[in-house]
Amino acid sequence: MIINHPLLGPRDAAEFVYKGDASLINRPNWQADDAAELFHEYLYLRDNPAGQHRELWYHEQGDRSWLIVTRNTLTHEISNVEFARDVALAERPKK
Amino acid sequence: MPNYTLTARTPLDGFSHDFNGVSVTEVNGRSIVSIATSLGGGEALSKALAKTYKLKIPEPGKSTVSSLDNAVLLGMAQDQTFLVFDDHTEDKPVDVVSKHLKDTAYFTDQSDSYVMLRVSGENSRSVLERICPIDLHPSVFPEGSVSRTIMEHLGTVIVHEKANTFLLMSARSSAKSFLEAVEVSALNIG
Repeated sequence: MIINHPLLGPRDAAEFVYKGDASLINRPNWQADDAAELFHEYLYLRDNPAGQHRELWYHEQGDRSWLIVTRNTLTHEISNVEFARDVALAERPKK
Repeated sequence: MPNYTLTARTPLDGFSHDFNGVSVTEVNGRSIVSIATSLGGGEALSKALAKTYKLKIPEPGKSTVSSLDNAVLLGMAQDQTFLVFDDHTEDKPVDVVSKHLKDTAYFTDQSDSYVMLRVSGENSRSVLERICPIDLHPSVFPEGSVSRTIMEHLGTVIVHEKANTFLLMSARSSAKSFLEAVEVSALNIG
């Protein structure tokens, strides 16, 4: 499998480590009243979609960047690759 | 005080060998300092580099060359570069860089963490294409390009220094295994 790195171009999947569902970057608020329930959901309850899946990949044997890869779990077709940093900054609530 | 002195050895004891159309030589006498930019601190670093080393910060995957200490600045990742320069016998690598660049970024000495091999000659690309997963053709990896990848499962930084000359940097702790991978590949092309 080839992952098209946004900065470095096409790289072999062997350079990357799979780190799970992209929703992991949205860590729940540990001070919320229902924190225990939120963390239970965050840690253990995962969707297992047949089709489009947004997931985290770490370019360990490369530039050490975190990526969000949109991959079709049925065909392994990768439709989008973006820096997790850019996604996190874009989703950050404005002050 | 114990009455003995220790003699420093290089990772591969100065290995150098000519194979068919390719030379593989250990590179020594170079310091490596990692330069990590602080959040929003890129501009101060740019100015300091331009003033002292006369260098521009390269984009990741590119490098720039200075005449000061034969320094080469390698663009490793977003907000991270490696400065590779001739050893100063009297000063530690980070002190040399701090003297020029003050506190415009975070500096970490990487010198003894790496083994460096220079692969040169007309067959160098044929040797490397057997162990390197990225395309090294000059049309996509022109002179001055830098990349961090894996060769034989070992993390490697590859620099295209000039035509048919590549610099490889890999972990010192696995230097002999890394050399074997390159040697076997050089022998395989006949």
